[in-house]
Amino acid sequence: MINWAAFVVVAVASLLASVVVVSLYSLGLRLLTSAGRALVVDPQSFTGAITVLTPKRAAKEAKRARKTASANPLTAGQKRLALVGAYTCFVLCVGAVLYGVYLIVPALHR
Amino acid sequence: MPVDFTLIVVLVIALALIFDFTNGFHDTANAMATPIATGAMRPKVAVGLAAVLNLVGAFLSTEVARTVSGGIIREGDGGVLITPEIIFAGLIGAIVWNLITWLRGLPSSSSHALFGGLIGAAIIGIGFQSVDYSVVVAKVILPALIAPLTVGLVAFIATKLAYSITRRDTGRADGRGGFRYAQIFSSSLVALSHGTNDAQKTMGVITLTLIASGTQSIGSGPQLWVVIACALAIAIGTYTGGWRIIHTMGRGLTDVKPAQGFAAETSTAATILASSSLGFALSTTQVASGSVIGSGLGRRGATVRWGMAGQIALGWVLTLPASAIMGAFAAGFAMLGPIGIVIDLLLGTLVVAMLYQRSKRTRISHDNLHDIDDAGRVVKIRKTPRRIARRDRKKVAL
Repeated sequence: MINWAAFVVVAVASLLASVVVVSLYSLGLRLLTSAGRALVVDPQSFTGAITVLTPKRAAKEAKRARKTASANPLTAGQKRLALVGAYTCFVLCVGAVLYGVYLIVPALHR
Repeated sequence: MPVDFTLIVVLVIALALIFDFTNGFHDTANAMATPIATGAMRPKVAVGLAAVLNLVGAFLSTEVARTVSGGIIREGDGGVLITPEIIFAGLIGAIVWNLITWLRGLPSSSSHALFGGLIGAAIIGIGFQSVDYSVVVAKVILPALIAPLTVGLVAFIATKLAYSITRRDTGRADGRGGFRYAQIFSSSLVALSHGTNDAQKTMGVITLTLIASGTQSIGSGPQLWVVIACALAIAIGTYTGGWRIIHTMGRGLTDVKPAQGFAAETSTAATILASSSLGFALSTTQVASGSVIGSGLGRRGATVRWGMAGQIALGWVLTLPASAIMGAFAAGFAMLGPIGIVIDLLLGTLVVAMLYQRSKRTRISHDNLHDIDDAGRVVKIRKTPRRIARRDRKKVAL
Protein backbone atom coordinates (compact mmCIF):
# COMPACT_ATOMS: atom_id res chain seq x y z
CA MET A 1 0.00 0.00 0.00
CA ILE A 2 2.77 2.41 0.89
CA ASN A 3 4.24 3.60 -2.34
CA TRP A 4 7.92 3.88 -1.49
CA ALA A 5 8.84 4.53 -5.09
CA ALA A 6 6.84 7.77 -4.95
CA PHE A 7 8.99 9.01 -2.07
CA VAL A 8 12.11 8.22 -4.01
CA VAL A 9 10.68 10.04 -7.03
CA VAL A 10 9.95 13.15 -4.95
CA ALA A 11 13.38 13.11 -3.31
CA VAL A 12 15.28 12.55 -6.54
CA ALA A 13 13.19 15.05 -8.49
CA SER A 14 13.66 17.79 -5.92
CA LEU A 15 17.38 17.06 -5.61
CA LEU A 16 17.83 17.17 -9.36
CA ALA A 17 15.75 20.31 -9.81
CA SER A 18 17.49 22.17 -7.00
CA VAL A 19 20.98 21.15 -8.06
CA VAL A 20 20.36 22.12 -11.70
CA VAL A 21 18.72 25.47 -10.92
CA VAL A 22 21.15 26.51 -8.19
CA SER A 23 24.23 25.39 -10.14
CA LEU A 24 23.16 27.20 -13.29
CA TYR A 25 22.42 30.43 -11.49
CA SER A 26 25.62 30.29 -9.43
CA LEU A 27 27.65 29.55 -12.54
CA GLY A 28 25.98 32.49 -14.22
CA LEU A 29 26.96 34.77 -11.36
CA ARG A 30 30.47 33.38 -11.38
CA LEU A 31 30.87 34.02 -15.10
CA LEU A 32 29.36 37.48 -14.73
CA THR A 33 32.01 38.25 -12.12
CA SER A 34 34.69 36.81 -14.37
CA ALA A 35 33.47 39.06 -17.14
CA GLY A 36 34.13 41.98 -14.84
CA ARG A 37 30.50 42.70 -14.06
CA ALA A 38 30.09 41.46 -10.53
CA LEU A 39 26.56 42.22 -9.37
CA VAL A 40 26.45 44.78 -6.65
CA VAL A 41 23.07 45.34 -5.15
CA ASP A 42 22.30 48.98 -4.78
CA PRO A 43 20.49 49.73 -1.52
CA GLN A 44 18.48 52.41 -3.34
CA SER A 45 16.67 49.72 -5.30
CA PHE A 46 15.64 47.87 -2.15
CA THR A 47 14.43 50.72 0.00
CA GLY A 48 11.57 49.04 1.75
CA ALA A 49 13.63 46.11 2.93
CA ILE A 50 13.86 45.22 6.58
CA THR A 51 17.52 44.32 6.61
CA VAL A 52 18.88 46.90 4.26
CA LEU A 53 22.40 46.93 3.04
CA THR A 54 23.88 50.06 4.57
CA PRO A 55 25.12 52.60 1.99
CA LYS A 56 28.57 52.21 3.54
CA ARG A 57 28.63 48.47 2.97
CA ALA A 58 27.24 48.85 -0.52
CA ALA A 59 29.94 51.37 -1.36
CA LYS A 60 32.55 48.96 -0.03
CA GLU A 61 31.16 46.18 -2.19
CA ALA A 62 31.05 48.43 -5.26
CA LYS A 63 34.67 49.38 -4.67
CA ARG A 64 35.59 45.75 -4.35
CA ALA A 65 33.77 44.95 -7.58
CA ARG A 66 35.62 47.72 -9.42
CA LYS A 67 38.92 46.48 -8.03
CA THR A 68 38.14 42.93 -9.11
CA ALA A 69 37.12 44.14 -12.55
CA SER A 70 40.28 46.21 -13.04
CA ALA A 71 42.53 43.36 -11.91
CA ASN A 72 40.85 41.00 -14.33
CA PRO A 73 43.49 38.96 -16.17
CA LEU A 74 41.12 37.94 -18.95
CA THR A 75 41.37 39.40 -22.45
CA ALA A 76 38.47 41.34 -23.93
CA GLY A 77 37.45 38.34 -26.01
CA GLN A 78 37.50 36.02 -23.02
CA LYS A 79 35.41 38.50 -21.07
CA ARG A 80 32.85 38.63 -23.84
CA LEU A 81 32.77 34.83 -23.88
CA ALA A 82 32.26 34.76 -20.13
CA LEU A 83 29.42 37.24 -20.44
CA VAL A 84 27.72 35.19 -23.13
CA GLY A 85 28.22 32.12 -20.94
CA ALA A 86 26.68 33.93 -17.99
CA TYR A 87 23.56 34.93 -19.90
CA THR A 88 23.27 31.42 -21.34
CA CYS A 89 23.32 30.06 -17.78
CA PHE A 90 20.56 32.45 -16.67
CA VAL A 91 18.40 31.57 -19.66
CA LEU A 92 18.92 27.83 -19.08
CA CYS A 93 18.06 28.32 -15.41
CA VAL A 94 14.75 30.01 -16.23
CA GLY A 95 14.10 27.31 -18.81
CA ALA A 96 14.68 24.58 -16.22
CA VAL A 97 12.21 26.20 -13.84
CA LEU A 98 9.56 26.59 -16.53
CA TYR A 99 10.03 22.98 -17.61
CA GLY A 100 9.63 21.85 -14.01
CA VAL A 101 6.36 23.77 -13.64
CA TYR A 102 5.19 22.37 -16.96
CA LEU A 103 5.86 18.83 -15.73
CA ILE A 104 3.70 19.17 -12.62
CA VAL A 105 0.69 20.80 -14.27
CA PRO A 106 -1.38 17.95 -15.70
CA ALA A 107 -3.55 20.36 -17.72
CA LEU A 108 -0.59 21.31 -19.90
CA HIS A 109 0.25 17.87 -21.22
CA ARG A 110 -2.90 15.90 -21.36
CA MET B 1 -24.38 24.60 -8.59
CA PRO B 2 -26.83 22.39 -6.70
CA VAL B 3 -29.45 24.28 -4.73
CA ASP B 4 -30.25 21.79 -1.97
CA PHE B 5 -27.53 23.01 0.33
CA THR B 6 -28.55 22.52 3.91
CA LEU B 7 -27.53 24.99 6.57
CA ILE B 8 -24.84 22.68 7.90
CA VAL B 9 -23.19 22.34 4.49
CA VAL B 10 -23.08 26.11 4.08
CA LEU B 11 -21.66 26.37 7.59
CA VAL B 12 -18.94 23.83 6.86
CA ILE B 13 -17.97 25.54 3.61
CA ALA B 14 -17.76 28.89 5.38
CA LEU B 15 -15.61 27.38 8.12
CA ALA B 16 -13.37 25.66 5.59
CA LEU B 17 -12.82 28.94 3.77
CA ILE B 18 -12.00 30.66 7.05
CA PHE B 19 -9.47 27.91 7.71
CA ASP B 20 -8.03 28.47 4.24
CA PHE B 21 -7.75 32.18 4.97
CA THR B 22 -5.88 31.55 8.24
CA ASN B 23 -3.63 29.13 6.40
CA GLY B 24 -2.59 31.79 3.91
CA PHE B 25 -2.38 34.32 6.72
CA HIS B 26 -0.06 32.09 8.70
CA ASP B 27 2.15 30.95 5.84
CA THR B 28 3.01 34.13 3.94
CA ALA B 29 6.14 34.26 6.00
CA ASN B 30 7.28 30.87 4.71
CA ALA B 31 7.65 32.23 1.23
CA MET B 32 8.31 35.87 1.72
CA ALA B 33 10.21 36.32 5.00
CA THR B 34 13.60 35.51 3.50
CA PRO B 35 13.47 37.81 0.45
CA ILE B 36 12.15 40.63 2.62
CA ALA B 37 14.87 40.00 5.18
CA THR B 38 17.71 39.88 2.68
CA GLY B 39 16.35 42.94 0.93
CA ALA B 40 15.58 41.05 -2.24
CA MET B 41 12.10 42.48 -2.52
CA ARG B 42 10.13 45.40 -1.24
CA PRO B 43 7.66 44.08 1.30
CA LYS B 44 4.67 45.48 -0.58
CA VAL B 45 5.71 43.78 -3.80
CA ALA B 46 6.64 40.55 -2.04
CA VAL B 47 3.29 40.20 -0.33
CA GLY B 48 1.26 41.09 -3.41
CA LEU B 49 3.23 38.65 -5.51
CA ALA B 50 2.82 35.89 -2.93
CA ALA B 51 -0.94 36.41 -2.95
CA VAL B 52 -1.21 36.28 -6.73
CA LEU B 53 1.01 33.21 -7.00
CA ASN B 54 -0.95 31.38 -4.33
CA LEU B 55 -4.02 32.05 -6.40
CA VAL B 56 -2.37 30.70 -9.53
CA GLY B 57 -0.88 27.71 -7.71
CA ALA B 58 -4.29 26.66 -6.46
CA PHE B 59 -5.41 26.09 -10.03
CA LEU B 60 -2.35 24.18 -11.21
CA SER B 61 -2.90 20.76 -9.73
CA THR B 62 -5.71 19.22 -7.71
CA GLU B 63 -4.02 15.94 -6.76
CA VAL B 64 -3.75 16.88 -3.10
CA ALA B 65 -7.43 17.81 -2.97
CA ARG B 66 -8.26 14.31 -4.23
CA THR B 67 -6.09 12.77 -1.51
CA VAL B 68 -8.03 14.66 1.13
CA SER B 69 -11.51 14.14 -0.28
CA GLY B 70 -11.15 10.60 -1.51
CA GLY B 71 -8.56 8.92 0.63
CA ILE B 72 -8.41 9.56 4.33
CA ILE B 73 -11.98 9.02 5.40
CA ARG B 74 -13.76 5.96 4.03
CA GLU B 75 -16.97 6.95 2.39
CA GLY B 76 -19.96 5.28 0.78
CA ASP B 77 -20.07 1.89 -1.00
CA GLY B 78 -20.60 -0.31 2.03
CA GLY B 79 -18.14 1.78 3.96
CA VAL B 80 -19.13 4.31 6.54
CA LEU B 81 -20.99 7.43 5.58
CA ILE B 82 -19.36 10.55 6.86
CA THR B 83 -21.68 13.42 7.62
CA PRO B 84 -21.15 17.16 7.24
CA GLU B 85 -21.55 17.42 11.02
CA ILE B 86 -18.39 15.37 11.54
CA ILE B 87 -16.42 17.48 9.08
CA PHE B 88 -17.74 20.54 10.86
CA ALA B 89 -16.45 19.21 14.18
CA GLY B 90 -13.07 18.37 12.64
CA LEU B 91 -12.73 21.89 11.28
CA ILE B 92 -13.59 23.47 14.62
CA GLY B 93 -10.91 21.31 16.24
CA ALA B 94 -8.34 22.26 13.63
CA ILE B 95 -9.03 25.99 13.77
CA VAL B 96 -8.93 26.11 17.56
CA TRP B 97 -5.66 24.18 17.73
CA ASN B 98 -4.17 26.35 15.01
CA LEU B 99 -5.01 29.54 16.86
CA ILE B 100 -3.72 28.22 20.18
CA THR B 101 -0.36 27.25 18.71
CA TRP B 102 -0.13 30.47 16.75
CA LEU B 103 -0.69 32.55 19.84
CA ARG B 104 1.57 30.51 22.07
CA GLY B 105 4.30 30.61 19.44
CA LEU B 106 4.42 26.83 19.19
CA PRO B 107 5.69 25.42 15.93
CA SER B 108 2.74 23.75 14.28
CA SER B 109 1.37 22.83 10.92
CA SER B 110 -2.03 23.96 9.68
CA SER B 111 -2.20 20.89 7.47
CA HIS B 112 -1.63 18.45 10.29
CA ALA B 113 -4.11 20.32 12.45
CA LEU B 114 -6.69 19.87 9.70
CA PHE B 115 -6.00 16.15 9.29
CA GLY B 116 -5.84 15.63 13.04
CA GLY B 117 -9.16 17.38 13.57
CA LEU B 118 -10.87 15.36 10.85
CA ILE B 119 -9.47 12.05 12.06
CA GLY B 120 -10.40 12.76 15.69
CA ALA B 121 -13.91 13.81 14.73
CA ALA B 122 -14.40 10.77 12.49
CA ILE B 123 -13.22 8.34 15.18
CA ILE B 124 -15.60 9.75 17.80
CA GLY B 125 -18.46 10.45 15.42
CA ILE B 126 -18.41 7.19 13.48
CA GLY B 127 -15.86 4.84 14.93
CA PHE B 128 -12.31 3.63 14.53
CA GLN B 129 -13.06 1.83 11.28
CA SER B 130 -14.04 5.06 9.52
CA VAL B 131 -10.48 6.22 9.02
CA ASP B 132 -8.38 4.68 6.30
CA TYR B 133 -5.19 4.42 8.32
CA SER B 134 -3.12 3.08 5.46
CA VAL B 135 -3.80 6.26 3.47
CA VAL B 136 -3.10 8.39 6.54
CA VAL B 137 0.25 6.66 6.97
CA ALA B 138 1.16 6.60 3.28
CA LYS B 139 0.10 10.10 2.30
CA VAL B 140 0.25 12.15 5.50
CA ILE B 141 2.44 10.69 8.24
CA LEU B 142 5.29 9.27 6.16
CA PRO B 143 5.64 12.37 3.95
CA ALA B 144 5.63 14.44 7.15
CA LEU B 145 8.56 12.42 8.47
CA ILE B 146 10.49 12.05 5.23
CA ALA B 147 9.99 15.41 3.50
CA PRO B 148 11.72 17.69 6.05
CA LEU B 149 14.71 15.35 6.07
CA THR B 150 15.08 15.01 2.32
CA VAL B 151 14.48 18.72 1.74
CA GLY B 152 17.08 19.49 4.41
CA LEU B 153 19.60 17.30 2.63
CA VAL B 154 18.75 18.84 -0.74
CA ALA B 155 19.05 22.37 0.65
CA PHE B 156 22.36 21.45 2.26
CA ILE B 157 23.78 20.22 -1.05
CA ALA B 158 22.35 23.19 -2.97
CA THR B 159 23.85 25.67 -0.50
CA LYS B 160 27.25 24.00 -0.67
CA LEU B 161 27.06 24.16 -4.46
CA ALA B 162 26.02 27.81 -4.54
CA TYR B 163 28.90 28.79 -2.29
CA SER B 164 31.56 26.66 -3.90
CA ILE B 165 30.69 27.72 -7.44
CA THR B 166 30.82 31.41 -6.59
CA ARG B 167 33.86 31.15 -4.29
CA ARG B 168 36.68 33.59 -5.04
CA ASP B 169 39.75 34.92 -3.35
CA THR B 170 38.94 36.91 -0.28
CA GLY B 171 39.15 40.60 -0.95
CA ARG B 172 37.67 40.12 -4.40
CA ALA B 173 34.06 40.60 -5.32
CA ASP B 174 32.20 37.31 -5.58
CA GLY B 175 28.95 38.71 -6.95
CA ARG B 176 26.92 36.83 -4.36
CA GLY B 177 24.72 39.89 -3.95
CA GLY B 178 23.27 38.75 -7.25
CA PHE B 179 21.49 35.94 -5.42
CA ARG B 180 19.10 38.63 -4.21
CA TYR B 181 17.68 38.86 -7.71
CA ALA B 182 17.39 35.08 -7.87
CA GLN B 183 15.49 35.09 -4.61
CA ILE B 184 12.72 37.10 -6.20
CA PHE B 185 12.08 34.08 -8.40
CA SER B 186 12.77 31.33 -5.91
CA SER B 187 10.46 32.81 -3.28
CA SER B 188 7.80 33.27 -5.94
CA LEU B 189 8.10 29.57 -6.66
CA VAL B 190 7.60 28.82 -2.98
CA ALA B 191 4.42 30.90 -2.98
CA LEU B 192 3.25 29.04 -6.08
CA SER B 193 3.97 25.67 -4.54
CA HIS B 194 2.09 26.74 -1.42
CA GLY B 195 -0.98 27.22 -3.58
CA THR B 196 -0.56 23.79 -5.15
CA ASN B 197 -0.45 22.09 -1.77
CA ASP B 198 -2.21 24.10 0.93
CA ALA B 199 -5.16 25.54 -0.97
CA GLN B 200 -5.86 21.97 -2.07
CA LYS B 201 -6.50 20.78 1.46
CA THR B 202 -9.47 23.08 1.86
CA MET B 203 -10.77 22.10 -1.58
CA GLY B 204 -10.54 18.51 -0.42
CA VAL B 205 -12.53 19.24 2.71
CA ILE B 206 -15.27 21.11 0.87
CA THR B 207 -15.46 18.34 -1.73
CA LEU B 208 -15.67 15.78 1.07
CA THR B 209 -18.56 17.76 2.56
CA LEU B 210 -20.37 17.89 -0.77
CA ILE B 211 -19.88 14.15 -1.17
CA ALA B 212 -21.05 13.52 2.37
CA SER B 213 -24.21 15.57 1.84
CA GLY B 214 -24.93 13.70 -1.36
CA THR B 215 -24.61 16.66 -3.72
CA GLN B 216 -21.55 15.25 -5.42
CA SER B 217 -20.71 11.73 -6.52
CA ILE B 218 -18.22 9.64 -4.59
CA GLY B 219 -14.64 9.78 -5.80
CA SER B 220 -15.05 12.88 -7.96
CA GLY B 221 -12.64 15.79 -7.85
CA PRO B 222 -13.29 19.35 -6.69
CA GLN B 223 -15.74 21.45 -8.67
CA LEU B 224 -14.63 24.65 -10.34
CA TRP B 225 -16.41 27.02 -7.94
CA VAL B 226 -14.75 25.23 -5.02
CA VAL B 227 -11.34 25.69 -6.62
CA ILE B 228 -12.01 29.38 -7.25
CA ALA B 229 -13.34 30.01 -3.74
CA CYS B 230 -10.37 28.28 -2.08
CA ALA B 231 -7.85 30.00 -4.30
CA LEU B 232 -9.34 33.38 -3.45
CA ALA B 233 -9.51 32.64 0.27
CA ILE B 234 -5.86 31.62 0.48
CA ALA B 235 -4.75 34.57 -1.65
CA ILE B 236 -6.61 37.10 0.49
CA GLY B 237 -5.25 35.41 3.63
CA THR B 238 -1.73 35.60 2.26
CA TYR B 239 -2.10 39.28 1.51
CA THR B 240 -3.50 40.23 4.93
CA GLY B 241 -1.00 38.05 6.75
CA GLY B 242 1.81 39.70 4.89
CA TRP B 243 0.79 43.13 6.07
CA ARG B 244 0.91 41.94 9.62
CA ILE B 245 4.43 40.66 9.12
CA ILE B 246 5.61 43.85 7.46
CA HIS B 247 4.25 46.00 10.23
CA THR B 248 5.66 43.93 13.03
CA MET B 249 8.94 42.59 11.73
CA GLY B 250 12.06 44.55 12.20
CA ARG B 251 13.99 42.74 14.84
CA GLY B 252 15.35 39.34 15.50
CA LEU B 253 15.04 37.81 12.09
CA THR B 254 17.43 34.98 11.48
CA ASP B 255 20.55 35.84 9.61
CA VAL B 256 19.97 34.45 6.14
CA LYS B 257 22.39 35.22 3.35
CA PRO B 258 21.07 35.65 -0.19
CA ALA B 259 22.94 32.59 -1.54
CA GLN B 260 21.63 30.46 1.29
CA GLY B 261 18.11 31.84 0.99
CA PHE B 262 18.06 31.09 -2.71
CA ALA B 263 19.25 27.52 -2.21
CA ALA B 264 16.73 26.95 0.58
CA GLU B 265 13.80 28.35 -1.38
CA THR B 266 14.64 26.41 -4.51
CA SER B 267 14.73 23.14 -2.57
CA THR B 268 11.50 23.97 -0.75
CA ALA B 269 9.67 24.79 -3.97
CA ALA B 270 11.03 21.74 -5.79
CA THR B 271 10.01 19.38 -2.99
CA ILE B 272 6.52 20.81 -2.53
CA LEU B 273 5.80 20.95 -6.25
CA ALA B 274 6.96 17.37 -6.77
CA SER B 275 4.90 16.18 -3.80
CA SER B 276 1.81 18.07 -4.91
CA SER B 277 1.86 16.44 -8.29
CA LEU B 278 1.92 13.02 -6.62
CA GLY B 279 -0.85 13.93 -4.18
CA PHE B 280 1.20 14.03 -0.96
CA ALA B 281 -0.39 16.42 1.49
CA LEU B 282 2.72 17.96 2.95
CA SER B 283 3.04 20.57 5.60
CA THR B 284 4.61 23.48 3.77
CA THR B 285 5.81 24.94 7.05
CA GLN B 286 7.73 21.80 7.90
CA VAL B 287 9.32 21.60 4.48
CA ALA B 288 10.36 25.24 4.60
CA SER B 289 11.79 24.77 8.10
CA GLY B 290 13.70 21.69 7.02
CA SER B 291 15.29 23.50 4.13
CA VAL B 292 16.22 26.54 6.22
CA ILE B 293 18.00 24.25 8.68
CA GLY B 294 19.66 22.26 5.90
CA SER B 295 20.88 25.34 4.09
CA GLY B 296 22.15 26.84 7.33
CA LEU B 297 24.23 23.72 7.87
CA GLY B 298 25.58 24.15 4.37
CA ARG B 299 27.27 27.37 5.44
CA ARG B 300 30.66 27.46 7.03
CA GLY B 301 31.08 27.30 10.76
CA ALA B 302 27.53 26.06 11.29
CA THR B 303 26.54 24.14 14.40
CA VAL B 304 23.13 22.84 15.41
CA ARG B 305 21.31 23.97 18.53
CA TRP B 306 19.85 20.55 19.22
CA GLY B 307 17.63 21.78 22.04
CA MET B 308 15.75 24.08 19.69
CA ALA B 309 15.59 21.45 16.98
CA GLY B 310 14.05 19.11 19.54
CA GLN B 311 11.44 21.68 20.56
CA ILE B 312 10.38 22.21 16.98
CA ALA B 313 10.19 18.46 16.33
CA LEU B 314 8.10 18.00 19.48
CA GLY B 315 5.67 20.67 18.29
CA TRP B 316 5.29 18.88 14.99
CA VAL B 317 4.70 15.50 16.60
CA LEU B 318 2.15 16.98 18.97
CA THR B 319 0.00 18.66 16.32
CA LEU B 320 -1.78 15.62 14.88
CA PRO B 321 -2.86 13.98 18.16
CA ALA B 322 -3.65 17.29 19.87
CA SER B 323 -5.91 18.53 17.10
CA ALA B 324 -7.42 15.04 16.91
CA ILE B 325 -8.45 15.41 20.55
CA MET B 326 -9.94 18.85 19.80
CA GLY B 327 -11.79 17.41 16.83
CA ALA B 328 -13.00 14.49 18.95
CA PHE B 329 -14.44 16.82 21.59
CA ALA B 330 -16.18 18.89 18.95
CA ALA B 331 -17.56 15.72 17.38
CA GLY B 332 -18.84 14.59 20.77
CA PHE B 333 -21.02 17.69 20.92
CA ALA B 334 -21.97 17.48 17.27
CA MET B 335 -23.41 14.00 17.93
CA LEU B 336 -26.10 15.62 20.07
CA GLY B 337 -27.80 16.95 16.95
CA PRO B 338 -28.53 20.56 15.96
CA ILE B 339 -28.16 21.75 19.55
CA GLY B 340 -24.68 20.21 19.61
CA ILE B 341 -23.70 22.09 16.46
CA VAL B 342 -24.82 25.31 18.10
CA ILE B 343 -22.79 24.46 21.21
CA ASP B 344 -19.76 23.76 19.01
CA LEU B 345 -20.17 26.99 17.15
CA LEU B 346 -20.57 28.98 20.36
CA LEU B 347 -17.59 27.30 22.01
CA GLY B 348 -15.49 27.82 18.89
CA THR B 349 -16.45 31.47 18.64
CA LEU B 350 -15.77 31.91 22.36
CA VAL B 351 -12.29 30.41 22.07
CA VAL B 352 -11.50 32.47 18.98
CA ALA B 353 -12.76 35.65 20.66
CA MET B 354 -10.71 34.92 23.78
CA LEU B 355 -7.61 34.24 21.73
CA TYR B 356 -8.20 37.38 19.73
CA GLN B 357 -8.42 39.44 22.89
CA ARG B 358 -5.22 37.90 24.17
CA SER B 359 -3.46 38.42 20.86
CA LYS B 360 -4.19 42.12 21.11
CA ARG B 361 -2.49 42.22 24.48
CA THR B 362 0.64 40.26 23.55
CA ARG B 363 2.93 42.11 21.26
CA ILE B 364 3.84 40.26 18.13
CA SER B 365 7.50 39.46 18.30
CA HIS B 366 9.75 36.86 16.81
CA ASP B 367 8.38 34.45 19.41
CA ASN B 368 5.04 34.22 17.72
CA LEU B 369 5.97 35.57 14.35
CA HIS B 370 6.57 32.43 12.40
CA ASP B 371 8.06 29.00 12.50
CA ILE B 372 10.67 29.51 9.82
CA ASP B 373 12.45 31.95 12.00
CA ASP B 374 12.62 29.35 14.76
CA ALA B 375 14.03 26.90 12.27
CA GLY B 376 16.69 29.41 11.32
CA ARG B 377 17.75 29.68 14.92
CA VAL B 378 18.43 25.99 15.09
CA VAL B 379 21.61 26.52 13.15
CA LYS B 380 24.25 28.67 14.76
CA ILE B 381 26.84 30.18 12.48
CA ARG B 382 30.19 31.49 13.61
CA LYS B 383 31.43 34.63 11.95
CA THR B 384 34.14 33.73 9.42
CA PRO B 385 36.18 31.09 11.20
CA ARG B 386 39.80 32.20 11.26
CA ARG B 387 41.39 28.93 10.18
CA ILE B 388 39.20 28.67 7.11
CA ALA B 389 39.58 32.35 6.29
CA ARG B 390 43.34 31.89 6.14
CA ARG B 391 43.01 28.89 3.89
CA ASP B 392 40.68 30.95 1.75
CA ARG B 393 43.31 33.54 1.06
CA LYS B 394 45.16 31.06 -1.09
CA LYS B 395 44.53 31.72 -4.69
CA VAL B 396 41.38 30.27 -6.15
CA ALA B 397 41.26 29.90 -9.88
CA LEU B 398 39.35 32.65 -11.63
